[in-house]
Amino acid sequence: MTAHRLRLAAGGDRTALARLVIAALAVLTVVVLLLSTATGASDASVVDVALSLVSGEPSSVLSQRDRIIVIDIRLPRALLGLLIGAALAVSGAVMQGLFRNPLADPGLIGISSGAALGAVLMIVLGGALPAALLGLVGAFALPLAAFVGGLLATLFLYRIATLHGQTSVATMLLAGLAIAALASAVTGVLIYVADDRQLRDVTFWSLGSLAGSTWPKVLTAGPVILLSLAVLPFLARGLNAITLGEATAFHMGVKVQKLKNIAIVSVAAAIGASVAVSGGIAFVGIVVPHILRMVIGPDHRYLLPAAALLGGILLLAADMFARTIVAPAELPIGIVTALAGAPFFLWVLLRHRTSTGL
Amino acid sequence: MICAKNLSVRLSGKLIVDTLSLTAKAGQVTAIVGPNGSGKTTTMKAISGEIASTGELTINGDDVRALEPWQLATRRAVLPQATTIAFPFTVREIVRMGLSTGLNNDAAHAQAIAAKALAAVDLEGFEGRFYQELSGGEQQRVQLARVLTQIWDPVLNGMPCFLMLDEPVSSLDIRHQLTIMQLARDYCTRGGGVIAVMHDLNLTAMYADHMVMMKRGKVAAAGAPAEVLTDAAMEEVFGCRMRVSGLPAAGTPFILPQTAVL
Repeated sequence: MTAHRLRLAAGGDRTALARLVIAALAVLTVVVLLLSTATGASDASVVDVALSLVSGEPSSVLSQRDRIIVIDIRLPRALLGLLIGAALAVSGAVMQGLFRNPLADPGLIGISSGAALGAVLMIVLGGALPAALLGLVGAFALPLAAFVGGLLATLFLYRIATLHGQTSVATMLLAGLAIAALASAVTGVLIYVADDRQLRDVTFWSLGSLAGSTWPKVLTAGPVILLSLAVLPFLARGLNAITLGEATAFHMGVKVQKLKNIAIVSVAAAIGASVAVSGGIAFVGIVVPHILRMVIGPDHRYLLPAAALLGGILLLAADMFARTIVAPAELPIGIVTALAGAPFFLWVLLRHRTSTGL
Repeated sequence: MICAKNLSVRLSGKLIVDTLSLTAKAGQVTAIVGPNGSGKTTTMKAISGEIASTGELTINGDDVRALEPWQLATRRAVLPQATTIAFPFTVREIVRMGLSTGLNNDAAHAQAIAAKALAAVDLEGFEGRFYQELSGGEQQRVQLARVLTQIWDPVLNGMPCFLMLDEPVSSLDIRHQLTIMQLARDYCTRGGGVIAVMHDLNLTAMYADHMVMMKRGKVAAAGAPAEVLTDAAMEEVFGCRMRVSGLPAAGTPFILPQTAVL
């Protein structure tokens, strides 16, 4: 009610609030990044880590052992956490805008399943591909396979759920369920033909984790995620218009089909790259945009950058929780996000039961 | 001027609009009337460029199908029948969206135009309200305010702009019906043009300069309301035996918008 009054007082203009929130989130991102690199089984002080990262040279502030832990183990993991959190949250916000529904999440509607299937296919059957082809794509083979899987799932979903420019949410969620079931069935078949090493890699995807983050992973997934995230803010005005309906967006001067194509390919790329390094991490894409819409409103010009920051922050925080709560062992992060996200999703569902037409 | 010649639209193999011809001139309210399913809304969608059609179709002399969406958006704005939004936008945010895609992109004027548009649809002070919390009629007027901001100046670079309104008064009370029709009338007086799909024949007779009466995708009659609204046309097109300008039996109250003092 207080928030409601604030908005009334501002005459329905939330741009100043949105800018403030984005600035605060940017600061918080740096704080969480430092905390995350300093926290763990081997504790280093936040200040020392910050000094070491800023100076960039082998200094006396951190011991050699701490330095290796921070720079080679925790830093790539933290960076991947930020990137993947951003990718998941922004993809969620974009898909929700595109489908005109707050329940569209890449994890729930099967995009992540499609991407995971692509990745699993590459792990198990990739060896059968011509060596020349594999050499050409190199380290990008896995993200590429996940991207293609995600893209196919998205296109398939869009085809099924959209009739005459209207997207049915019920159809979309059910089709997502079918895609997820299909993906897990095919994965099941692949498990039979997989060898032990492949089996271990495949199991990793079913849970979702940031463990095993390395600099090479940051350098293969990072550019793909950053590039697709960089494209999406240019779609913000168009996505705003699409929330009024695709026909209305066209009347307002938006090239709807082109916008949809760019959005879907970008989301598939971001999700594909994320799934390739971390497996499927659900609910970030639904929780983050939803919280932000309640605070700064649904204007995508502010929602997308804010979602990128908050997504990174939340995933990194979840990861810190996951790797310290049962230390020295660690929980898969997918379990942490699902534990927090699933009840949240149910709450959103209850709130929107009337307006989502379900 | 918007000019359609032999316009046809086929939806799922069925001919919905059949070799229809109409012109909508600047300075005039052009009303499209007809029974349910006669193709009024489809005609509007075709004219706005939203759906594919065959036949000639021009706006101010340029082929509608050859113009880019953003070019069309500076020449015509479209009010759909109803708009549901799944996200918590405020009224102000929705109205400002109309300004973000048209040519009226000057930030300094945007604020003033949004306020004027809201005042024009009698929604002053609604800026901070949530769209989803408004009544159907209020939502319709917010959308109209957004549409107005898109082509706020009725004449752009010496060429008229057109408001295309699909049943603009369908969920409004009688006072706001008059407000909105008067607004359309004023837009024409200032040099723009209006095409409206209408159900209320009294309001149409009162505000339209030109009427197109449709039946099964074809033009059944066209011209000034006085020429088109005849007893014969009512029976032929609407299947209703009734008398134009007839009075009810004594003692039965009836209210005509024409009697309103504005």
